[in-house]
Amino acid sequence: MLTPEDIRDLVRVLDSSSLEEFQVDMGGLSVTLRRHGARGDWTRESRVTRQPHVLEASQEADTREAAGEEKVSSGTGATTSSARREDVHPITPPLLGTFYRAPKPGAAPFVEVGAAVEADTVVGMMETMKMMSPVHAGVAGTIVEICVGDAEFAQPETALMLVEVRS
Amino acid sequence: MSFRRMLVANRGEIAARVLRTCRALGIETVQAVSEADVLSVPARLADHVVVIGPGPSGASYLDVDAVVNAAVASGADALHPGYGFLSENADLARACGRHGVTFVGPSVAVLEAVGDKLSARDHAVAAGLPVVPGGQAGTPADAFEVAERVGYPLLVKAVGGGGGRGMKRVDAQEDLQRNLELAMAEADAAFGDPRVYIERYVVSGRHIEVQVLGDGDQVIHLGDRDCSVQRRYQKLFEEAPAPHLDDDIRSSLRAAATALAGQLRYRGLGTVEFLFDRARREFYFLEMNARIQVEHPVTEMVTGLDLVAEQIRVAEGHPLRLTQDDISVTGHALECRVNAEDWQADFRPSPGTVTAAAFPVGDHVRVDTHIQSDAAVPPYYDSLLAKVIVHGSNRDEAMAQMAHALRRCRIEGVATTLDLHRRLVEDDEMCLGGVDTMFFTRFLTRQESLSDATVGA
Amino acid sequence: MANIELVDVSLRDGNQSLWGATGLRTAQILQIAPAMDRVGFRALDYTSSTHMGVAVRNFREDPWERIRLTRQAMPNTALQFIGTGFRFISWETAHPDFMQLVYDRLVVNGIDRVVVLDPMHDIDAAVESARMLRRAGVREIIGALVYTISEVHDDAFYARLAQQMAACPDIDRVYVKDPAGLLTPERARSLLRAVRAALAGKPLELHSHCTIGLSPITYTVAADLVDVLQVACGSLSNGSSLPDAQRVVANLRELGHTVDVDDRLLGKVADYFNRLAEAESLPSGTPQEYDTSFLRHQVAGGVLSTTRRQLRELDMEPRFDAVMEEVGQVRAELGYPIMVTPFPQMVCSQALFNVIGTERYANVPDQVIRYVLGNFGRPAGPIDPDVRDRILGLPRARELAGEPPAPTPAELRKQFGSLISDEELLLRATMPADQVDAMIASGPAQRHYTPEAQQVLRLVDHLAARQDLAELTVEKPGLSITARYRKESVVDA
Repeated sequence: MLTPEDIRDLVRVLDSSSLEEFQVDMGGLSVTLRRHGARGDWTRESRVTRQPHVLEASQEADTREAAGEEKVSSGTGATTSSARREDVHPITPPLLGTFYRAPKPGAAPFVEVGAAVEADTVVGMMETMKMMSPVHAGVAGTIVEICVGDAEFAQPETALMLVEVRS
Repeated sequence: MSFRRMLVANRGEIAARVLRTCRALGIETVQAVSEADVLSVPARLADHVVVIGPGPSGASYLDVDAVVNAAVASGADALHPGYGFLSENADLARACGRHGVTFVGPSVAVLEAVGDKLSARDHAVAAGLPVVPGGQAGTPADAFEVAERVGYPLLVKAVGGGGGRGMKRVDAQEDLQRNLELAMAEADAAFGDPRVYIERYVVSGRHIEVQVLGDGDQVIHLGDRDCSVQRRYQKLFEEAPAPHLDDDIRSSLRAAATALAGQLRYRGLGTVEFLFDRARREFYFLEMNARIQVEHPVTEMVTGLDLVAEQIRVAEGHPLRLTQDDISVTGHALECRVNAEDWQADFRPSPGTVTAAAFPVGDHVRVDTHIQSDAAVPPYYDSLLAKVIVHGSNRDEAMAQMAHALRRCRIEGVATTLDLHRRLVEDDEMCLGGVDTMFFTRFLTRQESLSDATVGA
Repeated sequence: MANIELVDVSLRDGNQSLWGATGLRTAQILQIAPAMDRVGFRALDYTSSTHMGVAVRNFREDPWERIRLTRQAMPNTALQFIGTGFRFISWETAHPDFMQLVYDRLVVNGIDRVVVLDPMHDIDAAVESARMLRRAGVREIIGALVYTISEVHDDAFYARLAQQMAACPDIDRVYVKDPAGLLTPERARSLLRAVRAALAGKPLELHSHCTIGLSPITYTVAADLVDVLQVACGSLSNGSSLPDAQRVVANLRELGHTVDVDDRLLGKVADYFNRLAEAESLPSGTPQEYDTSFLRHQVAGGVLSTTRRQLRELDMEPRFDAVMEEVGQVRAELGYPIMVTPFPQMVCSQALFNVIGTERYANVPDQVIRYVLGNFGRPAGPIDPDVRDRILGLPRARELAGEPPAPTPAELRKQFGSLISDEELLLRATMPADQVDAMIASGPAQRHYTPEAQQVLRLVDHLAARQDLAELTVEKPGLSITARYRKESVVDA
C-alpha cells in the first residue's frame, strides 16, 4: 500500500507537470490527487478499499453486518446465506474436486433429501486428481437440501448439502 | 525483546496512527473493534480484526475483559491502548501482565501513582515541582477550610477523574456549597469516587505541557507544547513549541517535567501538564498523562521523531537510543482538531456518514484521520474526525500554512468544525500567539456577534 | 539434532553477487531494516569498503549515515563489516593507524561484528587486524578460512590455520567462506570436522555460494558440524549468491534441527526483495545447474564471459581454450591465489596476455606486479622463482616498489584540515574530491522506499512530459490509473 511519503513524492512530480488530476488504485488503496489553482497546491481523497480480515473467533458478529455493506472476508472463507440459521449445518468438501452422489455410476445415491444421518455417515464422494475421498455428514440430523448435483465441480467452501441438526 | 503481534485496543485516528508505525516496524497487527467499527479504516488497515463487543464503549473499548481476551485469543504479545478509553487503566495493565501480554505504557505502579490526582501531586511535590495551591476535601467542612487557604476564584475537581471532565469554577464563597454538592454527586456517578480536589483558579493561565520519554532508567524530554485553546477543558488547537515563552521559564518547565518522570523511573511516553500563570510568571504542575496524546504530531513535526516507534521500543525493553543532546526542536508546528460537531449549534455532535473527504497534501502538511468517503461516524465515541497538522520554519509561516491547509479541507455528510478553525487562524489574538485558556470563550463570543451582525443586516 | 542460527547476507554479499553491489540505496535498506531486525538473524553481513564507496560514488549517499540509521532501526541484530584488514575503499594499502581509525569510526557508528578476510591466509596479518579491531571495541571478530581447491589447500592446511585462529584471543569465531561455491558435501564433512576439532570449542559458521548448485545440499550436511549457516533472502538468494533462507530453514527443520526465526517476517523480507527486484528491473537469483568444469578453472561466469569478449574483439576467440589452460598454469605459478575478487580477474588477464603476446610475462598488469610485491599479503604457496624474478625485474615493478608508504591520519589531517569529521576525512583520503563534495551537497538520504510506488512514479514522470494528451487511463492487473491534464496544454498543442 502506498504510504503518505509515497503520495508526497507523487505530488512533487505531479506539481511540475501540466497534470491537474491523478487517480491511482493499487494494493487496496485508491487515491485521487487534484490540483487547485495556479499555485499548484494539491488535495488528496483516499479510500482504503481492502476488506477487513476478521479472525474466526468473532465470526458471529460479522455475519450480522447491515445488508448493502461490502461482505467482510473471514478466516474460514464465505458461508452460504442459509447457513446463518444456527440449526442448519452445511456439508462442505474436504478438498476441491468433482462431487459424486453415488458410490459408482448407475448405483443409488448415498443419501436423498429427508435422510437421517449421523456425523460419520457418508453422503457422497469427492474426486480430486484421480483420488476418491468420502464426504461425511459431520453432524447428526436430517438432510434438508442438496445443493450440488452429481459429477459437478465444488470448492472447499461450497455447501454440498444442508443438514438440519438434531437437537 | 521484539513484539510479533500487537493488539490495537483503540479506534479512530489513533488506531490508524499506531497501525501505520507497526506496519513500518514489521509488527503484525490485530485491530480490536466494536461492531460499529468493523468496516472502519483501521479495520481495513490492520492485518487482522477481532470484534470485542457492541457499539457502546462500556461493552467494548472500555471492557477490560473483552480487550484482554481479544489479545489472548488473537495471539498478541503486546497491546497498545491509544489514548482515552483504557489507556491509563491500571486494571488493564495488570490483566495484560497476568496473561503475558506486554502493555505498551508505563507500569501498573506508575499508572496508579499518576492516575490519582492527589498521588500525582504528591509525587510532583517530592520531585520539587511547584503545584497550584490547593487541597483535597472529603466533606464540605474540609472544602471550606481549603478554600480559605487558596482564595477565590477556585476550581472544584473530581479526584478520580481526568481529561477536564466534571470541573467547576467557583468565584465567591457564597457559591461554594452548591457547587461542592453538585461536584461530589457527579464525581460519585462518573468515577465511583466522590472525593473532590479544590485548587486556585488562575484567571489568565496558559496550558503548557512537556513531552517526556523514559526507559525505566533514563528520561529525556522532547520539547513542550501549548494547548491553551480549549473549550470546556477539551483541546481544539495545539502547537509546538509553546510560543512567547522566556528561555528561563521554558528550561524550568522542561527540567521539572524530566525531574518528575525521573522520580517515577518512568518507562514509556508521558506528558507533564503545567498551568502557566501569565500575570505571576509562575507555573504549577497540573497533572501527568501516562499515555500517548492526541497532539503528539506537533512534537513529531518539530523533532523529526516517530513517537509511537519510540514508545514501542521502550516497551520492548530497549534502553533509550537518544540522549537529550540528540533532541532538537526545529521550526514551529500547529494542529487543528476537526470534530464532527455543529459549532454554531452549541457544538452539537453530528454523527452519520461521511460522503466526501478531501484533505491537503504537500511537504509541510500532514493529516491524521480515520475517515474517508462512506465512512461511518458512530454516535458512541468522541467526535474527532481528523487532525490537520502543519510545520513551518517559524510560527507566522506555520499559521499561513494552516490557513491554506484548512481551505483545502472538505468533509461532507456530517457537520464539522472546519469553518471554526478557519476563522480561528485568521483571528488577531491567535496570530499574535501566547493566548490564555480563556481565549476561546472570547473568540467564540466574537464569532457570535459577527453572525448576529450579519443576521441583523 | 542441532539448533542452527542464521546470518543473512542479502544486503552485502547478495547485493554484490547479483546486483554488482549497486542494487541498494539507503532508503531501500532502511525500509526493510525493522522487519529484518525482528526475524531473529544472528547478524547481517551488512557492509564493506566496496559498498561504502558505492554509496558515495553511485548514490551520493553518506555511508556512515547509512550505518547509523540502520543501527537505530535494528537494535537486536549485529551488523557486520567485512574487510581484508589492509585497505579501505581505495585499492592502495593503508597505514595501520589509518585502519585503526577506520575501525574506531565503524564501531562508533554501529558496526559490532567484523570479518577479517585475508585472501592469502596470512595469519600474522589477520591476528594483527583482529587486535586492532578489539582495540576499537568490536564485539565479535571473525576469522575467515577461504575455501578453494588446489594441491596446497587440503584439510590439514585449513586445520592448521584454524588452530592458530583458535589460539588468538581476539578472534571470537571462525567461518569457512566458499566464495566460488566449490565445497561439495563430501569434502564439507571432512573439512568441517577437521576445522571444528582444531577450533576446540570456538564457534564455526559456513558461508557457501550457490554458483554451481552445491551449497543448499552442502548445508544439510554441514548442519551437524557448524553453529551458523549464512543465507540470503528472496531475489538476493541463489544464482551466484547464497542459499535461500526460507528453503534452508525448511530443510533444516525437515532434518530435525531447530531454527528460531520468525517465519512470517522471513517471508516478508524475501517478498520485499522480490518486489524491489521487480520494481527496479534487477535480476533474481535462481537455482544453478551443476557445472563440473567450474571445479577445475574456478573462474566465475562474469569473468569468463568478459575474457571471451575481449578475445572476440581481438579476433582471437578460437584461442579461448588455450587461455583457460593458461589460467591453471598462471594460478600455480602465482602460488595458488584463491579465486576471489580481485584474483580471478588478475589471473585471467595475465593468462590472456601470456597467450596473445609474444612471450609469457612480457606484459604484466600493475595488479599482478603488486601481488608479487606482496601488497596483497603472503600467498599460500610459493611464487615460481623464475616468474618472480621476471616480474620484479620489470621497470614498472621498480616504480611500484618505490611508492611512498601510505599516509597516517595525522598527515592526512594536514592535507585535508582539522575541521572535518573523522568520517569525512576517511572518505576524502580514499575517494575523488568531487564525489565526496557531491555526496555532501546532496544532503541527508531519503529514508522511505515502497517498491510498488516506483512504477507509479516512473509513469507520472513519463506522463508529466507529455504535451499531447487530455486524459489517460492505464489498467493492468492490480493497478489502475487515470490522469487528466490542464485544458490549456491541449489547446496549445
